[in-house]
Amino acid sequence: MLNNVPDDPPPFLGSWRRIYIVVVVYLCAFIGLLALFTRSFRP
Amino acid sequence: MRLLDWIVLVVSLVFVIGYGLWRSRSTSTTEQYLLAGREMPWYAMALSIMATQASAITFISTTGQAYADGMRFLQMYLGLPLAMILISMTAVPIFHRARVYTAYEYLEQRFDVKTRTLVSIVFLIQRGLGAGVALYAPAIVLTVIFGWPDYMTTAIMGVLVVLYTTLGGIRAVTWTDFQQMIIMMIGLVAALLTAIWLMPPEVSFLDAVKTAGVAGRLNALVTTFSWSDQYNLFSGLIGGMFLSLAYFGCDQSQVQRYLTGRSIAQSRLSLLFNAVAKLPMQFLILFTGAMVFVFYIHVQPPLIFHPGEMKKVEQRADAAQLQQRYDQAWKARRAAVGRDDAAFLQAQSDIDTVRKQTGATNDTNFIFLTFVTHYLPAGLVGLVMASIFAAAMSTISAEVNSLATVSVIDIYKRHFAQNASDNHYLWASRAFTALWGVYAVFAAGFGRSLGSLIEAVNMVGSFFYGSLLGAFILAFYVPRVGANAAFLAILAGEAAVVTVHFTWKISFLWYNVVGALAVVAAGLLLSFVLPKTPTATPAT
Repeated sequence: MLNNVPDDPPPFLGSWRRIYIVVVVYLCAFIGLLALFTRSFRP
Repeated sequence: MRLLDWIVLVVSLVFVIGYGLWRSRSTSTTEQYLLAGREMPWYAMALSIMATQASAITFISTTGQAYADGMRFLQMYLGLPLAMILISMTAVPIFHRARVYTAYEYLEQRFDVKTRTLVSIVFLIQRGLGAGVALYAPAIVLTVIFGWPDYMTTAIMGVLVVLYTTLGGIRAVTWTDFQQMIIMMIGLVAALLTAIWLMPPEVSFLDAVKTAGVAGRLNALVTTFSWSDQYNLFSGLIGGMFLSLAYFGCDQSQVQRYLTGRSIAQSRLSLLFNAVAKLPMQFLILFTGAMVFVFYIHVQPPLIFHPGEMKKVEQRADAAQLQQRYDQAWKARRAAVGRDDAAFLQAQSDIDTVRKQTGATNDTNFIFLTFVTHYLPAGLVGLVMASIFAAAMSTISAEVNSLATVSVIDIYKRHFAQNASDNHYLWASRAFTALWGVYAVFAAGFGRSLGSLIEAVNMVGSFFYGSLLGAFILAFYVPRVGANAAFLAILAGEAAVVTVHFTWKISFLWYNVVGALAVVAAGLLLSFVLPKTPTATPAT
């Protein structure tokens, strides 16, 4: 039995969906930077 | 360790523990003791989650791994942000609304008591094994480096952890984790900056980075795929995501962190902070190891970093010859750095060959501490030691606290004492916390025989995590699966992992995927022959 605990919006960006999208974009950017870093200093 | 180092270490530990106990001074109910009254802010939970996951061996061993093998290990965390999103979307609101104390308590609401009990016992076995290792593993390294008896280090860490975890409950654990994480990051940054600062004046930071790159230490991203290769983009994203889902979504030592949140939003923020911060933190740890590698290109390191193993090498008949070859290869490498990459790599290969020929066991766990104890200025050594103690204690306290919680809520209260008063459960929680803490100290005391068991413990984790995750996937997403189907599916998942282990040579990371998918598939199939029965109202 689940209690009625409110699901408040996040303190920024207005919705959790937007925050999740930002995190996914961040991950893609991080992987991209890692690729650049690895390629730049590859032997 | 000099006097200043001891002062820094002791003051850090006293301050952290004192602060944690002060913040937990008003604990008087079971909900306050086990879940901080569900009042924690996101930033406290966020750093506690991070500190719980970053053990002392992560700190010591990861830097050594980057020294020896480069930064590939970072890829294991690539799936973590995706896992945090999924947990924020599903587990967090479900657990909050169910008002559970443990993740496994929810399984009885969804399935039945036997599923809850099975998963609880699996957790107790898995985490119980891990608690002794978490305490012993850093102790053996400190023993070798400083000559401190390992029982002394385990006793000091164990007693401190039992003290503040038993007295203060999860509030003390969370607020000490918060402080400990700050200390860990300061210690790590101090070590990195010192490694860079101690390079010869003619070697710029960019030179150092390029050198690490030539030596293959900056291999942070590997895009070629292999089932047996543990660290590449694909195993990291997929296998790493499943591992993170299992660890942060189903392991009570992590779940309990965010069950203390004052709201669903606060718990989500704590997880999403980790989604963003964990990768740069791991990058920093590994990059520190890479810079220590470059440092030792310009300052000659010992042939073997493990002092005990080095003594054995010195007693070999060919010891002088090995040392001479090593000295020559090191000088050749230093002469070639920045001038002749081919000669540099050849010299590096010669160094690796000589080290392998010594027959010494893997010394990666001793590289970072050797650097710290020999080259960091007074005070900073104490700070890094404080970081290592902090990393160990933050992990162990969370494990002991979660073991006690599951013992009280899922086993003791559910099966043996269903109608006792809240004060009774509060004291039971304190008793179980103390018992599990003492157990961890004793288990660490058998550490010498744990040598190969450390690897076995890692395997146990890999064996069980996938099935735990599969159980929760069924619980959250597959409503047609009933209690009996879920219970048998968990067992089928375990059978699948064991079968894969003995028949197919794949990286451990994939076991989580195999276990989870096997449980889901088995659960779906069994749901057609084992119909779902209405769930009774649970006793808790």
